[in-house]
Amino acid sequence: MKYADMAVPSRALHLWRYTPWARIHPSKVEDVPDASGIRFNIVEGGELVEGAPRIVNAEDIGRVFLSELGGSAWTYESTSNADVVHLQAVASGHVAVGHLHLSLKHDVTVMLHLSGESDWTGLHITGEIGANARAGFGLVNELASNGKFLHCEDWVVNRDASLELAGLSIGGFRCKSDVRTHFTASGGALTQAISVHGSGQRHVDHHIEVHHDVPHTDSSLNIHAACDDQSHSIATGLLTIAEHANHCDAGQVFKNLLLSEKARAEAIPELEVLADEVAAAHGAASAPVNPDQLHYLMSRGLDEESAVALLVEGFMQDGFSSLDNQTLVDEMRTRLTVHLECELKR
Amino acid sequence: MAEEILRVENLHVSVEDTPILNGMDLTINRGEIHVIMGRNGAGKSTLASVIMGHPAYEITEGSIHYMGTNIDEMSVFERARAGMFLSFQYPAVIPGVQVGTFLKKSVQSVRDEPLKGREFRKELNGAMATLEMQKSVLSRYVNDGFSGGEKKRLEILQMLLLKPTLALLDETDSGLDIDALRIVAKGINSVAPEAGCLIITHYQRLLDHVQPHFVHVMIDGTIVESGGPELALKLEEQGYEWLETAAEA
Repeated sequence: MKYADMAVPSRALHLWRYTPWARIHPSKVEDVPDASGIRFNIVEGGELVEGAPRIVNAEDIGRVFLSELGGSAWTYESTSNADVVHLQAVASGHVAVGHLHLSLKHDVTVMLHLSGESDWTGLHITGEIGANARAGFGLVNELASNGKFLHCEDWVVNRDASLELAGLSIGGFRCKSDVRTHFTASGGALTQAISVHGSGQRHVDHHIEVHHDVPHTDSSLNIHAACDDQSHSIATGLLTIAEHANHCDAGQVFKNLLLSEKARAEAIPELEVLADEVAAAHGAASAPVNPDQLHYLMSRGLDEESAVALLVEGFMQDGFSSLDNQTLVDEMRTRLTVHLECELKR
Repeated sequence: MAEEILRVENLHVSVEDTPILNGMDLTINRGEIHVIMGRNGAGKSTLASVIMGHPAYEITEGSIHYMGTNIDEMSVFERARAGMFLSFQYPAVIPGVQVGTFLKKSVQSVRDEPLKGREFRKELNGAMATLEMQKSVLSRYVNDGFSGGEKKRLEILQMLLLKPTLALLDETDSGLDIDALRIVAKGINSVAPEAGCLIITHYQRLLDHVQPHFVHVMIDGTIVESGGPELALKLEEQGYEWLETAAEA
């Protein structure tokens, strides 16, 4: 389907309720503007090859739009175990778009740092985890604080493969992320951990879909959003377990830390379970700073501002506690600490 | 002449209009160890919390002086920076904050001079060795998944690093096995000579390792009896009934 033939999605749809298409589109919804390509560079390890498999049969307006915008397209294919690859993506110009495809057939970790001053950034990541591989992917969104960001990810996890996904969302003014994972064979496992920091009037919308189409697959999702000022975080999850996909174990947990009276956070986990013998759970909680934790830190000499800052950092770091991939965890922690220290100095 | 660290005078405290402390008087000098005992609900933990400046408690009458200054208006972090320390009965769990980071930030906050990394690590290693703690604790989250004994050791580790002038220990001995009790007592004894100590406990057993100068008994938010270490032994044998009978009379 072409973008011009698609209807603007209704706000009644789960996916577009909180960030309507018109608000994330770079201009008028009928336009497909000219786009420059996001510049991808390998900082450490591996090699990028130009070109990436195009998305076919995409029915989601975001994916179709990104595909028609074009931009740059690159592929990274793992070649050996224990690789750690650091990629840098820089978005500049009015509209910048890029597609990165990851073919991960080994035990590898890929880190992507996204930065730049583009007014509008579109990023599509596709990936396939080969049988028996244990892969990790981390995305740090450090875009300039005044741009829009549309971000889609599509993952396929094959037999006995495991994928750990980490996301740190600290850049961009209005961000819409749509991350979808499908299991193709039994034995697959997915662990997703996302931390969001909202300040000013930042609007961050994460939609996470995990589809257990086959039996004996496991997934877990943890999203921690710390919202200050008038920021707004939205997290919607869709967890499906198909009929006959028995013995799946899936869970989603959404936690929000509200740091001001005007900060808002929505957490909407959704389950569609059609199999009988499964474990599926979801939970959501939003709360201000815990007064007992605050008092404890202040009793150790930290003033209120420093104590709250440490609690925010801890809350966001804790979002990554479910990950086993220490490279991902360390990278996320480092970037988060640097970001929060810079915020404190502003 | 003894140097006064803490003076509590005619202290009345309420929580949501419910009186908890009803005219407490207590003076602690440098180098003195005071023990407060009493039944559950007598107001012991409230006293420690109020001295440390917990915002939930309202002082309705009386005063607290620390190092000769009325501290009623001081916030909790100012009290900590002035040298006051409370070992919590139930320390807060703080997921995501590593113990090592937390200790460094605490010590940095309380000390005036900048913290030198190598010297701090040496000091930290020494304190952890005293308390027979594993270094792996430094990368764990504060009190997250800690056993009762581990939490109490971490409290004492903080006390050793912060070097308080006034140490308030609220049931630090609760839930400790025999070895842990001995180790925690060692920590208390190392701080006590240079500080004033107030230990809240239910049991005589801690006092086998920490020699108090004064033992006080609280009933209904006030001290009804004071004495030396022998009072703790008498309480262990006879309980509190004889004091309640005397108070009623």
